[in-house]
Amino acid sequence: MRLGIIGAGQSSCTLIAELVRGQFEGEILVFNGELNRPYQRPPLSKSWLKATADANTLSLLPEPIENHGSIQWVKEWVTSIHPDNGELRTEKASYQVDHIVLATGTRAKQLTIEGLPIEIEHVVRTLDDAERLKKHIDHAENVTIIGGSFLAFELAASLDHPDRSIRIVARGNRFLPQVSVKTADRLLGSTTASTQVDVQIDSYDAKSKSLTTNHGPVPADLVIIAAGAVPNTEIAMRCGLGTEDGIATDLFMQTPHPKVSAIGEVSLHHQPHLGRSERVESISEANDSATTCAKRLLGRPEPFGAIPWFWSDQGQLKLQIAGLCARSDDETCLISNDFDCVVIRHCGDRVTAVEAINGAREFMAARRLFENGAISLSALVEAGSVFDLLQSSRS
Amino acid sequence: MPQLNCIDPHEQVIKVKFDPGETILQATYRAGVVGILAECGGGCSCATCHVILDHTWDGTLVGPSTQEADMLSFAVDPTPHSRLACQVELSDKHDGLSLTVAKRQY
Repeated sequence: MRLGIIGAGQSSCTLIAELVRGQFEGEILVFNGELNRPYQRPPLSKSWLKATADANTLSLLPEPIENHGSIQWVKEWVTSIHPDNGELRTEKASYQVDHIVLATGTRAKQLTIEGLPIEIEHVVRTLDDAERLKKHIDHAENVTIIGGSFLAFELAASLDHPDRSIRIVARGNRFLPQVSVKTADRLLGSTTASTQVDVQIDSYDAKSKSLTTNHGPVPADLVIIAAGAVPNTEIAMRCGLGTEDGIATDLFMQTPHPKVSAIGEVSLHHQPHLGRSERVESISEANDSATTCAKRLLGRPEPFGAIPWFWSDQGQLKLQIAGLCARSDDETCLISNDFDCVVIRHCGDRVTAVEAINGAREFMAARRLFENGAISLSALVEAGSVFDLLQSSRS
Repeated sequence: MPQLNCIDPHEQVIKVKFDPGETILQATYRAGVVGILAECGGGCSCATCHVILDHTWDGTLVGPSTQEADMLSFAVDPTPHSRLACQVELSDKHDGLSLTVAKRQY
């Protein structure tokens, strides 16, 4: 079998590693138009941005796998796919494959701000983006980050410096809407950046070096747009697969076309833990969807059944989330003291997610409990902590 | 270049070269040592890079943080010499350090 994988991010590399380790019989063509070797994205906004380490420390694939004889790296962007004929086209050539895996990931959402000079506008999505930011940040005194996401706060923590003012502004009415109000408050309390919600940006005024907003001028000699991500579905859409929201797959990562699969942040599939379809942007989704796809390609299919999890470093705080919840789910704070904080997200008595700040044991215990079945809020409250509930369920 | 002696889950002994300043995870992952999953890529968030260090090297190492110790308590069969490979930074004095990759990460 000749496999064509489009993309070389987390999901693509997990798939490649699983196929090599599983002794996949066939050829693997990996299409990646980025000049860099496959690299890890999470450190780009965290440790790597602060450190002096070079790009080699971000390497995503072990050398024996990256250089495995079954893999051919094609440093070209794919411009179209023609699954009926098993064809992949780039600007330079056409390639024949038996099966296509779309691992095209997401890209940073762009905002158009009138008058904003391109040289002070940044996003942090790729290694090149992060290197460009690293180069310019030393000369910046007023950094404004646009967006209310984890990325915005991670960047603020990583770029914190006595000679620099950092502001985070968001269009929405609250920061970090993907977590509970309690968890968001704790994270907000730890940031040294100044923050403002409900911000409408009109334009950029080059003379005063500031953004003109409904809250007055916001000084900015460097602007980072961290306003979310957009799935790269254009190639799929042109052949009738997927929409702007993602590429629909079944629980085996197979799209409606028998010769096409989709994995990672572009795949839109049923999330058994959540009980409905959702596109999830996280490392666990990338790894678990890739592993599911690999098993199918190796002839040992097993449906996707993973419990999603997530983490984010915010300065001294480590947030870890087990499970996945709807933004409207209720929140009940289980533990809250000076150091750690554990918030339960639930729908009635059914627990959907556990958010833990500096609470590694609670997070890991929640993952174990979710793997073993449903957790009820009443049982958790009675036990007093997720860890205690796990202990009592084991005895 | 200093090196580590790694015993993988198939009992294979592998010599892994490292640059001082990098972590055990960075060195072993690059070399393709099997059995270390490191799902979170080295963020002390998944406990799937569990290794057991030769205890004679204890004196050369900074002990685990609370976060690491808590994550380790959920690893499969942790020992007093268990560590998360992503959290152990190597220096010149670790040339020759021996470690065993945990048999299972789940």
